[in-house]
Amino acid sequence: MNPKVGEELRDLVKHPTTRQLVQYAGAQGDFYEIHYDQDFARSVGLPGVILHGLLKAAFLGQLVTDWLGEDGTLKSFEVSYRGIDVPGRPYLCQGKVTRVDGDQVELEVWGEDSEGNRTTLGSASVEMKG
Amino acid sequence: MATTAVLDRLRARIGSTAPPISATVEAGHLKRFAEAIGDPNPRWLQEAPPTFLVALVPASIHLEEAEEYGKGWLNGGNRFEYVEPVQVGDRITATGRVADVYEKTGSSGSLLFIIFETEYVNQHGRTVARLRGTAIRR
Repeated sequence: MNPKVGEELRDLVKHPTTRQLVQYAGAQGDFYEIHYDQDFARSVGLPGVILHGLLKAAFLGQLVTDWLGEDGTLKSFEVSYRGIDVPGRPYLCQGKVTRVDGDQVELEVWGEDSEGNRTTLGSASVEMKG
Repeated sequence: MATTAVLDRLRARIGSTAPPISATVEAGHLKRFAEAIGDPNPRWLQEAPPTFLVALVPASIHLEEAEEYGKGWLNGGNRFEYVEPVQVGDRITATGRVADVYEKTGSSGSLLFIIFETEYVNQHGRTVARLRGTAIRR
């Protein structure tokens, strides 16, 4: 693989459900009620249960590792959560190559809700195998 | 003001570390984690996917007094730095510290930011990863 600046990563569409949020809560060990208890979520001013930020990070991580495969190594990965996302709506993960310097490649990644709002922004640095 | 007192108490925790926590990367846990995030890549049966370390040990120190501020937690962001792969059977020791605490006031009110940093060391004494996380009280 020979990444070029501007190259787009293949889109990844996720379809999170409340069931997945419970599954993720168990797998991560994060039992904060805003992710599975509708009444609790509304009591703290949310529209209902919302996705874990780290679940959205995992989706974007998959976007990057699916693209990278065994052609390189992930060196760093950063995500910033800019908006909430609710289950029952598709979550679109996208990315592109922003910098190539020898074997060092920088990526911009982001996650969009079903209305096209970028609710998660991120970046990744990878080192390609020579 | 109550919130100012909470802020002062939390700021006094900057630099403090939590007791190290050790855990072994188990095949069953990796599999459940990969299923939960919906990533079918068979690689994750042996190796930890990018965000797995947050599931191995708690990603932040529990600061009970922060719950006196606002009414809920939000995750602001996470930054992972990877030094070497984490595999099934690895014994990982995580040490977390409070890196910073500050308040920001915007148009919709005040928010409390707590920055946590965690370093992950394997059974050979080598650092495998670092994590920086931003927890927000609103």
